[in-house]
Amino acid sequence: MLLSLMIFVPLLGMIVVLLLPRESEELIKRVTLLFTLIPLVLAVVLFISYDRSTAGTQYFVSVPWIETFNINYHIGIDGLSVTLILLTALLGPICVLASWRNIEKGIKAYMALFLLLETGMLGFFAALDLFLFFVFFELTLLPMYFLIGVWGGPRREYAAIKFFLYTLFGSVLMLVAMIAVYLNSGVPGERTFDIPTLITLAGTEGHALADPGFQIWVFLGFFIGFAVKVPIFPFHTWLPDAHVEAPTAISVILAGVLLKMGTYGLVRINMAMFPEGIDFFTNGVGFWGNSLALLGFINIVYGSFCALAQTDFKKLVAYSSIGHMGFVILGLAARNETGVTGAILQMFNHGVISAMLFLLVGVLYDRAHHREINGFGGLGNRMPIYTGITTLAFMASLGLPGLSGFVGEALSLLGAFAKFQVLTILSTIGIVVGAAYFLWTLQRVFLGQLNPKYEDLPEINGREILTLVPLGVLTIVLGIWPHFAIEMFSESVTKLTEIMGTLQASL
Amino acid sequence: MVVSLISIILLCPLAAFAIFALLGLAKRNFPRQDYLSTAAMLVALVCSFLLLWEVVPKPEPHTVDWISLGKITFSMGFYLDSVTVIMLIVVTLVSSLVHIFSIGYMHGDPRYPRFFAYLSLFSFSMLFLVVSDNLLGIYIGWELVGLCSYLLIGFWFEKDSAANACKKAFLTTRVGDVGMFIGMMMLFARFDTLSLYGDNGIFTRITNPEYLTADASGIFWLSIAGVLIFCGAVGKSAQVPLHTWLPDAMEGPTPVSALIHAATMVAAGVYLTARMFPILTPSSSLVIAYVGGITALVAATIAIVRFDIKRVLAYSTVSQLGYMMLAIGAGSYVAGLFHLTTHAFFKALLFLGSGSVIHAFHAMHAHHDEEHANGEEHKHDDHSLVHAHGSEIPSDQDMRNMGGLRRKMPWTFGTMLVATLSISGVPFIFSGFWSKDKILGGVLGRAMEWNSVHHYVLFGMALLAAGITAFYMFRLIFMTFFGEPRNQEMHDMAHESPWVMVVPLLVLAILSFPVVNKWWFNKDNIIRPEQPHIHAPQHAQLGPDTKIDGANFGIAFFGISETEAAEEEGEKNTKKADDAYYIHKLAHNIAMVLSIVVAGVGILLSWLFYHRRRFSAESVATTFRPAYNLFWNKYYFDEFYDGVLVALTVWKSRLFAKFDLSAIDGIVNGVATITRQVFAAFIGFFDNRVVDGIVNRVAEVTWAAGGRIRRIQTGAIQTYLFVVLGGIVLIILIFRAL
Repeated sequence: MLLSLMIFVPLLGMIVVLLLPRESEELIKRVTLLFTLIPLVLAVVLFISYDRSTAGTQYFVSVPWIETFNINYHIGIDGLSVTLILLTALLGPICVLASWRNIEKGIKAYMALFLLLETGMLGFFAALDLFLFFVFFELTLLPMYFLIGVWGGPRREYAAIKFFLYTLFGSVLMLVAMIAVYLNSGVPGERTFDIPTLITLAGTEGHALADPGFQIWVFLGFFIGFAVKVPIFPFHTWLPDAHVEAPTAISVILAGVLLKMGTYGLVRINMAMFPEGIDFFTNGVGFWGNSLALLGFINIVYGSFCALAQTDFKKLVAYSSIGHMGFVILGLAARNETGVTGAILQMFNHGVISAMLFLLVGVLYDRAHHREINGFGGLGNRMPIYTGITTLAFMASLGLPGLSGFVGEALSLLGAFAKFQVLTILSTIGIVVGAAYFLWTLQRVFLGQLNPKYEDLPEINGREILTLVPLGVLTIVLGIWPHFAIEMFSESVTKLTEIMGTLQASL
Repeated sequence: MVVSLISIILLCPLAAFAIFALLGLAKRNFPRQDYLSTAAMLVALVCSFLLLWEVVPKPEPHTVDWISLGKITFSMGFYLDSVTVIMLIVVTLVSSLVHIFSIGYMHGDPRYPRFFAYLSLFSFSMLFLVVSDNLLGIYIGWELVGLCSYLLIGFWFEKDSAANACKKAFLTTRVGDVGMFIGMMMLFARFDTLSLYGDNGIFTRITNPEYLTADASGIFWLSIAGVLIFCGAVGKSAQVPLHTWLPDAMEGPTPVSALIHAATMVAAGVYLTARMFPILTPSSSLVIAYVGGITALVAATIAIVRFDIKRVLAYSTVSQLGYMMLAIGAGSYVAGLFHLTTHAFFKALLFLGSGSVIHAFHAMHAHHDEEHANGEEHKHDDHSLVHAHGSEIPSDQDMRNMGGLRRKMPWTFGTMLVATLSISGVPFIFSGFWSKDKILGGVLGRAMEWNSVHHYVLFGMALLAAGITAFYMFRLIFMTFFGEPRNQEMHDMAHESPWVMVVPLLVLAILSFPVVNKWWFNKDNIIRPEQPHIHAPQHAQLGPDTKIDGANFGIAFFGISETEAAEEEGEKNTKKADDAYYIHKLAHNIAMVLSIVVAGVGILLSWLFYHRRRFSAESVATTFRPAYNLFWNKYYFDEFYDGVLVALTVWKSRLFAKFDLSAIDGIVNGVATITRQVFAAFIGFFDNRVVDGIVNRVAEVTWAAGGRIRRIQTGAIQTYLFVVLGGIVLIILIFRAL
């Protein structure tokens, strides 16, 4: 009940916002803030009351929905979902605050869509029925499309459609795979979309779902659907465009949550449901056995090098996201506790850190109205607090130990090294290049002589600091005491590695 | 007690920084950040001395589980043996003195409080590194000191040279750090842990003979891992080929150079290598020895031709760090740590002394303030990743403007002379002589014992470097303090520094005499520490025991007589070790004589060249033009890195970005166009509203890409909502049909 309430409170908020008069903008913003704060409170309650000692799903609800197809409204959370739900719920109010001043038109529609988006995201992380999972997945697509297409930058239409079509392309394949799984799940009348049931069936000897050949193909269908979201090379080109055009808050959601939907799907569906499939792509033998790790490596190195070449601040951060998501893929490909834990931690940390980075880019953009890195210089003296927070975020993102980004990255690499030595060593190039583009940016924007054009640039204000402080605190706390997050999902990870039959591999 | 003392040592400087950071968010400053940071450091200093009494013969790590994942646990904790305590004392002592010195030196800087906050953060990170009992903890401290170094080198970030230097320092050391991380991954893959001590620790496991017999590739694996971990030290301790950042780091304020880039952070690499000594195999040791030896020689030759007083000291630091690495590589890690300690004091003194001279010439930071108020003076358009080198030497650091300062600045002169005598290896009463002799003797002893050509070569390099060191250090002294003033105007301006700066110099000068050190460290409970020197079965299998003089750090420490050491060794070891001991004793005697000779020759030549002016340095430079050019251009390392490596990286990144934009996105847009055509064909057959709606959007996007722009209207959202709702209904209908 608590979980359902949390998921649908934003939807309720959307209806309330739609009923409010268009002119009362302040009221709309406050109502939206309220309706994003409620899920946050509920998510914190969930986080605290979640029983960390078991891997089983908790707070589950199962109500028949479309009985003809045996589709249920089945939701529940395990350690992985509760972590990402907390992230989503936290970014909700932050994004509302970040949209406070810089959305100039149609604030009502904007806030309504944002609330719809939040319901979609929260529902996605809680869904335990494949059909429901898919519905929530698609539910995030629509508001996102409009939020980029209407409130975005000059090339917003191109970016929005590109985002839409890319994702649609992936979801079509996913849909086909889903139907295939459904049809193979049993005789007519006993077929099911229920994820836990399917996981059990897929692990049952002799069942149609357990057939390796079948699993590999279905795995691919789901994989491409999620790969677009992550995004994994070569399905990534929507990301820089979408980020550059999207308003600040939407970029934050995009990087913070939407990308995690892809990796979450990989863990929840691909790894848990298709152990034979994941084995085929990550067992380390031959080309296919290294393919997933190879994709992770390409993401890291390719994303980092592309980021180094950017001169648009936001595009640079977007490409850095591609690089950082590569560590998640690499960690998952390792399939051992260390790697998977690192990957999940990296998901959460990247959500927090990239949210900070996009907020920071937004702060600068709101003042200078451009994002050209070479157009700044010497801001360190003019905006010391902003510089300090940016340095923190950059350092976290480039994986400085003591801040959260390091822990996820390090565990992913440590885990992956047990299996993919060469690829892991090559991936560390990304660490150096990552430091290079962030430090170079730091230099071009903040160091050197102050560009006289920006002598009167105002320092970051209280509202903006308020949006950044919770994220900054999380970055530091999780850097110092990562166990705080890891204990949430360590049992789930153990269970997952058991399903995949690969407990910690040692050389 | 141990845990609480260490906690106090760590938390004091951290709190001093945290107060600055938190107040900073509220746009405020603590009224006296300088006193706060200094006080925090002094408390840490007192606690470090108290820890002397807490060292026990068999130290145990004090750990907590940091991350636990099923069977794997990463623990964090402290490890306290005499090496830790000595490092703690060195760090807190030098740091305290630098804090005090900075109160005078940095006075009037616009970012004065921030400077002290950064110093506090640095001290915390460095101390954390020192007390950590596992590789992960060391790595965390390791990177944090790198961050602080970055922030402090770029403290005057308005100068492009400083902005470039800090970036270079961070990136260069990161290259080494990545190597270190790969080494850690290798160890982790084999041992499933990164803890060093304790039952499950790597050092304990490695002493287990089963480890070696079970797996023949173990030694090879360990050798590679050892060299990779050493890569981290190559970066941090500025060893060839990653040494180029350290001279550039002199762009930071001089107290920073003294603390971070002479006494502590750069020595962390030596500390790490010494800590990792148990896992070093003979082959990885030899690599380390060569890197150290080459560094010692290369840096010393570059130092001869520098005119910037800080750069001379920087290259001297690189060279001395090479010495320490050489010692560890040759198996005398105690000698390496010993030199680390003596060097920390006299090199910090030299830097602070040079700071005093610079301060005397003109309060640079005060001028600096004017500089950045006056923006037109500097162009800042040169912001490429590739940056220019060989920038002009600031006039207040150019030794060619100095001379005759000994009368103007007697205290600075006197203290710097002590440090110079110490670093040059003037015998018996200066600490540097003892530590350097220990290294030379250790290397020669290894050569004689193993009859190893490698070690004879290394000994030759070390000896040559020792002579060159004496030469260029006295060159510095003669050019700065003797002779006639070369720039009368600047000379008239010069004055002795205030007491707050002179007192730290005096303290450090006192610390450059061995007797003081002996008085401190000669406590019963520190003489026999248990550094788990596990040179282990694998060494025994592969060659002679590499551990000779490694057992007793305290004995080696500061002038405790060789006889005492002999008795200790004799009691403990077998006949074979006794033989080895006599070889080493002989080696030490030979080395001592030779080192006195080379130091004497170096000083004499320096005197003839730069004081008596019997020979002209210019004419020698002309005679040996190629060599001179090589030294002057620093062996062209920077040219190679900037012209080849950095340029290649930037070029590659542009290539990737272009590929992304044209190739991959080109395919995507192409597919979109084709899809649009295909769908357009469909429309003819199925006049379905839903499909139609989607296709129109598809058509629009491709057109939008082509330049025709039509905006989505806010009002239209409801329509689209219906379209998608219709889509969902359609899907359900299809399902029903199945």
